[in-house]
Amino acid sequence: MTQNTHDSDTAFIAALAALLTSNDLTEIEVTRSSGDDNMLNVRVSRQMTAAPVQAPAPVQHVVAAPAVAAPAPVSSDPSSLPGVVASPMVGTVYLQAEPGTPAFVTVGAQVAEGQTILIIEAMKTMNQIPAPRAGTVKRILVEDGRPVEYGAPLMIIE
Amino acid sequence: MTDWPAGYGRIVLDEVTSTMTAAALRVADAPLWVLARRQTAAKGRRGRVWHMPAGNFAASLVMRPGDAPAQLALRSFVAALALRDALALHVAALALKWPNDVLLAGDKVAGILLESTGGALIIGIGVNLAAAPAPDAVEPGALRPTALADHGVTVTPEDFLTPLAAAFAQWEARFVRDGFDPIRTAWLAHAARLGEQITARTPRDTFTGRFDTVDSAGNLVLATATGRITLPAADVHF
Repeated sequence: MTQNTHDSDTAFIAALAALLTSNDLTEIEVTRSSGDDNMLNVRVSRQMTAAPVQAPAPVQHVVAAPAVAAPAPVSSDPSSLPGVVASPMVGTVYLQAEPGTPAFVTVGAQVAEGQTILIIEAMKTMNQIPAPRAGTVKRILVEDGRPVEYGAPLMIIE
Repeated sequence: MTDWPAGYGRIVLDEVTSTMTAAALRVADAPLWVLARRQTAAKGRRGRVWHMPAGNFAASLVMRPGDAPAQLALRSFVAALALRDALALHVAALALKWPNDVLLAGDKVAGILLESTGGALIIGIGVNLAAAPAPDAVEPGALRPTALADHGVTVTPEDFLTPLAAAFAQWEARFVRDGFDPIRTAWLAHAARLGEQITARTPRDTFTGRFDTVDSAGNLVLATATGRITLPAADVHF
């Protein structure tokens, strides 16, 4: 297990923990597989004393991923939580097609399966990331111009 | 005389908004090179204007490699090597700037832009053949633009395309057969400023350090005062 893998795993778990809090969940369990011999199984949970009051949810931001990016595993899909869109690659996130234009999606927006929800840039390649399913954008978990890790939660679409 | 590579289509259009857009409309015909004599709204990275004086080269290749996104992005290096080969038929003093800039005597002679969407990858290549944009037309801090004509070379876009397409087909076949390693090795052999101090800017940060290498995932590796960093996306400045 390399240091990079360790850092990547730590970031992934931290992101899950943030999701747990931001969505008032009590438990998340996820298995991430990136190769035959590289499997990460995580369960994060917390104790809840009372049901949270439902309030209009602000956009939640995951703590910025470290600028030091781990090499990306190049094959296999990250496993995904229900509703969570995981990053298929390491890179820089852009929420608009180009500076000064409207965001691809906003919280509350309806999206169709395959619709572009953001761009991740790596090696000067602008990768349009599609919505894996139709639904409503519940949360945007990344900030424009920030680095993301492989498997990092990008959005929640339900 | 180079032959057109087998398996690749080719169309030449008089005028398009941009070759990227024109190529995106022709995914069904991939792999296909779309050459345009004029672009009315050519773009660079992140919405930057790409200036295209008459007689310059603008073409986009649309392909469907069927790879994962991280693998698609490595075509940046494949395209840079192919463009370097095509330029090397006319000029020397070529060098590569991470990840895909080809420099002529240290100046910017070309630009490469890649977009992936829905399984298609579109690689746009612009080359200043006849004329470079005016220096005040480019962003402050950007490399000085140059053109092949400034180096005494005259070549038409159509004549430039064939060896470029052939070189791309060769490097692409190598990449598909042997993976990124030989691409990385060839790229590093032509890298500018390897082992020297460079600056890499991301939208949020600026890193300065010694350009150590490009890693097996294509990341830029810098040795900085605070340690070794690897960057999948950044603007490199010398």
